[in-house]
Amino acid sequence: MVFSSSDFAVSERKVCLHNDIQMLINQMPATSTQMKMHVRGSSETLALIRRVIVACVQHLNLGPSLLNDIKLATTEACTNVIKHAYKFNDAMSFDLEIKTSEAVFVVEVFYEDPDFVPEKIPVPNLKEIKEGGLGVFIIRSIMDHVNYITDPRSGRVRLQMVKLLNSKESIGGQSED
Amino acid sequence: MKIDSQIDKEKKIKVFHVEGEVDIHHLKNLKAEIMDSIESNGWTYEINMEKVTYLDSSGLGLLVYIKKEITRHNGKLRILNVSEQVLNVFKVTKLDEFFEIA
Repeated sequence: MVFSSSDFAVSERKVCLHNDIQMLINQMPATSTQMKMHVRGSSETLALIRRVIVACVQHLNLGPSLLNDIKLATTEACTNVIKHAYKFNDAMSFDLEIKTSEAVFVVEVFYEDPDFVPEKIPVPNLKEIKEGGLGVFIIRSIMDHVNYITDPRSGRVRLQMVKLLNSKESIGGQSED
Repeated sequence: MKIDSQIDKEKKIKVFHVEGEVDIHHLKNLKAEIMDSIESNGWTYEINMEKVTYLDSSGLGLLVYIKKEITRHNGKLRILNVSEQVLNVFKVTKLDEFFEIA
């Protein structure tokens, strides 16, 4: 594969933008947290989570496109927790946090998965049509920033998903920090 | 989620009208309803998604599975009346090129 200088420019621009977004998240004050939910790890709760996301996004007067992307990414993330991390054991639970500022809408999912290694998430080959493995691909495609933070000692995973607001600088993309 | 079906035996067409949200919680019912109705030869199956308000990768995965099974039985699958929101999920994964969407 041959990369052009414009490929590197785009890639460098994405890295800068992701760093900027991470800085924005780190600088968010405690008052930016709109909601925290402790959720039972059952697929039954997914519809309820979507209702909460809809209420939150509509409360902030964000448009339908943002709403659909945030709703879809959040459901995909929670589905992965329930299916892959918890293997449908609904005695387990996870936490969901929504933070907002004028610049960003952040959804964070906190869950237990001691074996999880973000680098090992397979990137699907879209030319090979398969029944599964598209959840994280969709999240990365529709959100502007996706970041998995793992703590090997506790086995706790923190997934950050960010949508930029009031900006034409929506980059989507597959990169991850 | 709700599913109703109509059968036209003369034209060998089965239409499934799906309503509501399609996520991992609803897959079993949808899968059972459609898979149990697959005939051995040459039928056309249509999934009317006019009233589907939400679909994610779990639903897409099921549709891929169903299409493969239908093709294995020499049948055809068409997906009808997809909303812009749902079509976007097909497009992000490029599955709009795999399915016949009308």
